Amino acid sequence: MTAPHTTSGIAPDLLPGFEHDAFQSNAVFRTVLDAMSRPGNIYNLPISIAAPDGLNETATAFALAMIDMDTPVWLSPACISGAAITHLKFHCGCPIVDDAAKADFAFARLDDDLSFLSRLAVGNAEYPDQSATVVFMVDAISDHPDMILTGPGIKETHMLSVAGLPAAFHTWRRENTTLFPCGVDVIFASPHQIAALPRTTRIEVK
Amino acid sequence: MENTQTSQNTETGAAYNFAYLDEQTKRMIRRALLKAVAIPGYQVPFAGREMPMPYGWGTGGVQVTAAVIGPDDTLKVIDQGADDTTNAVSIRQFFAKTAGVATTEKTAEASIIQTRHRIPEKPLRDDQILVYQVPIPEPLRFLEPRETETRKMHALEEYGLMHVKLYEDISRHGHIATTYAYPVMVDGRYVMDPSPTPKFDNPKMNMMPALQLFGAGREKRIYALPPFTRVESLDFEDHPFSVQSWDDECGMCSATDSYLDEVILDDKGNRMFVCSDTDYCTERQDAGHRGPQHHDQPLGGKAAE
Repeated sequence: MTAPHTTSGIAPDLLPGFEHDAFQSNAVFRTVLDAMSRPGNIYNLPISIAAPDGLNETATAFALAMIDMDTPVWLSPACISGAAITHLKFHCGCPIVDDAAKADFAFARLDDDLSFLSRLAVGNAEYPDQSATVVFMVDAISDHPDMILTGPGIKETHMLSVAGLPAAFHTWRRENTTLFPCGVDVIFASPHQIAALPRTTRIEVK
Repeated sequence: MENTQTSQNTETGAAYNFAYLDEQTKRMIRRALLKAVAIPGYQVPFAGREMPMPYGWGTGGVQVTAAVIGPDDTLKVIDQGADDTTNAVSIRQFFAKTAGVATTEKTAEASIIQTRHRIPEKPLRDDQILVYQVPIPEPLRFLEPRETETRKMHALEEYGLMHVKLYEDISRHGHIATTYAYPVMVDGRYVMDPSPTPKFDNPKMNMMPALQLFGAGREKRIYALPPFTRVESLDFEDHPFSVQSWDDECGMCSATDSYLDEVILDDKGNRMFVCSDTDYCTERQDAGHRGPQHHDQPLGGKAAE
């Protein structure tokens, strides 16, 4: 019998993916589902995973749990790297696209040129679900009252603060809110925490 | 070569992936669920799979549960409020077998509750998920059979037809005669079918702390209500929405605040009412509550007049 394939036999630099596909992808999905259902609530990444250059642990775990050959991915200039592309292509089998408008999932950092946001798919009036999700890798998320959130999933109000969130983001996000039911959903991924801003959430910036 | 999936099946001792569905299918359903949560009340199309049970038996709810459930979850399944009916028992056994998860009949102990046509009487918590089995997800379907048209109606918020239907009820019966699958408005935007739950349950959906997920297997649609979302039953100012009420109490536990099923006892017109939520009724009986037809009562339970 031939020895089982190891990832090192295919590409020596390739990092491992989920140790336990079914359980770990479920744990990550449940965290994302909680985050999306309760906008602004901060959840800890329930697993640990190796992240390639350009991505952080939370973004990598999100990608492995949610992305596959059916979902084109766009990587911003600040997070695109040979290692990230190899990692996503091997573990997710997803197409990597150059045009943000063609992506179901976009990965970026806050110091990127945020003009790509307005190119992302927002769906259409009949199929608003055919819209992109953008994952922002950030340094830190906290419940400091920089943003006061209201909307579905929030009982009264909720506080959220994201380190280094530029004014350009808020400008884009205000436009995004007016598109409802179309729009882009946002996920903030710090190295070990996650919080989400679905399109329904209204933000008051302090 | 060793199948990498094998190790995660040893716990369930079966030739299935965890929770029956393959990982790619689960990812597809999970992506649909996230979009459904982001657009409350909007029906997301998904690539529904054939399940090892017939359409109408909860194939949509089962696929949603399979995509959501993890090894640490505790599952409760109810059919018309009851834990002990065929549909509920078989779905509970399905997940006990394919996912090896703990199951329960107690509402308070469950982390995921899959339901056919009822919301438990006990208020749900924010750490619980309610999964509805939905036969026909489109609230406008009986008014407009074409999917292309109902899509447009939702896109344009053109819900006048639904109000006409409710108005016709009033002109014919003097009141809104719709008693189940009573249409609701979600967060002021989408009209949604709450699945064939009695309208008695509609107020529970409003601002519920638990996440509510809806799966329609034959129609291949998923929709959702995030926690704390406004859900209003459609009505008119002069004909406000109201829920059913009963003159009787539950024959077993004497509850007057729960949804009661009528049980015909004989061909002489004798009948009794009993809670449709079996766990709620059992808990009340365990706490010492007794209705007139309970077997502890004098005469071993007399028939109601």
